[in-house]
Amino acid sequence: MKTGQNVIMADQPNVSAAATAAVEPPGRNKQMNCADFQHDLPLIIDSGGTQEQDEHLQTCAVCRDLVSDLRYIAEQAKLLVPMHEPSPKVWDGIEEKLKLEGLMKPAQARRTL
Amino acid sequence: MAIRKPVPVENLQVVQNASSAAPQLAHESVGYESAGNATTFPVTTPKKMLASGMPEAEAIERAQQGDGECFESLYGMHKRRVYSLCLRMTGNTAEAEDLTQEAFLQLYRKIATFRGESAFSTWLHRLAVNVVLMHLRKKGLPEVSLQETLEPTEEDGPKKDIGAHDQVLAGSIDRVNLERAVESLPPGYRIIFVLHDIEGYEHNEIAEMMGCSIGNSKSQLHKARMKLRDLLKITRAERAGARR
Repeated sequence: MKTGQNVIMADQPNVSAAATAAVEPPGRNKQMNCADFQHDLPLIIDSGGTQEQDEHLQTCAVCRDLVSDLRYIAEQAKLLVPMHEPSPKVWDGIEEKLKLEGLMKPAQARRTL
Repeated sequence: MAIRKPVPVENLQVVQNASSAAPQLAHESVGYESAGNATTFPVTTPKKMLASGMPEAEAIERAQQGDGECFESLYGMHKRRVYSLCLRMTGNTAEAEDLTQEAFLQLYRKIATFRGESAFSTWLHRLAVNVVLMHLRKKGLPEVSLQETLEPTEEDGPKKDIGAHDQVLAGSIDRVNLERAVESLPPGYRIIFVLHDIEGYEHNEIAEMMGCSIGNSKSQLHKARMKLRDLLKITRAERAGARR
């Protein structure tokens, strides 16, 4: 009976928590497990963690490394300068089209790039 | 969910917060400047100068009056940034060149509408992003990718790292490896990562451009970073294996 099943599930709220705890590494915080922490990770990376999340971070090397890596990737990405150079044919194409449309006069064409 | 039609450039209003507000043109740095909140190099010169020695503001003014040489100088100054954006977003050299060409053609046609309300580079950059998004929308492929990534399945979600303690990445990423890893991201992840983490757009700007929610933008960015982390760890392991 569905209702009965629901009642049984509701009466056993610690089943999933116990299962999670079984696979968690040692040193984890009792108030928050890694799954909970990582579920909220986008928010933590974006705007910092709550006190509970900070406490978990202090005691969990796995989550600490994860946060460190994600922040490092974001920092390194900011350093990727625009270093790719388009081939000369890109300007040739621009010039040709602008001339065809009558927007750029042929006499204005120069190659000084 | 499809990519929303890009905003016409003449109607663009670049959203920026206090920390990212684009400085007035006359006070801009000659270094790399992001479109949004991200990296700006220290201001080193009072004005942006073109290779010819002409202030950028003057070149813009002349280009607005139809001066082709000044337009060519502006192309010379901004081509790398526009092309790099196109290349990173598409991952394809030929497409990136076509899109760079299209962005500058649109610039020439619309430069008279530039009013200096934002930095010229910011305005041009947003124009280029719109050109790329319009192209991807027409092409259709990223719509599929975005649909997949915006409505992720269980398998598609970020992998938990419970119990897996490994060496951190810090100090082990070089630019080439990161560029390659970004290139190999699925298109939906790559576009949002490029726009946010490389180009510095805010989530609200990305959401507006992509036609998704801010939450989706944040979620996809997180998945992109998680995927990159996996890719970079694989690269590092391969390099370590090759050295043995």
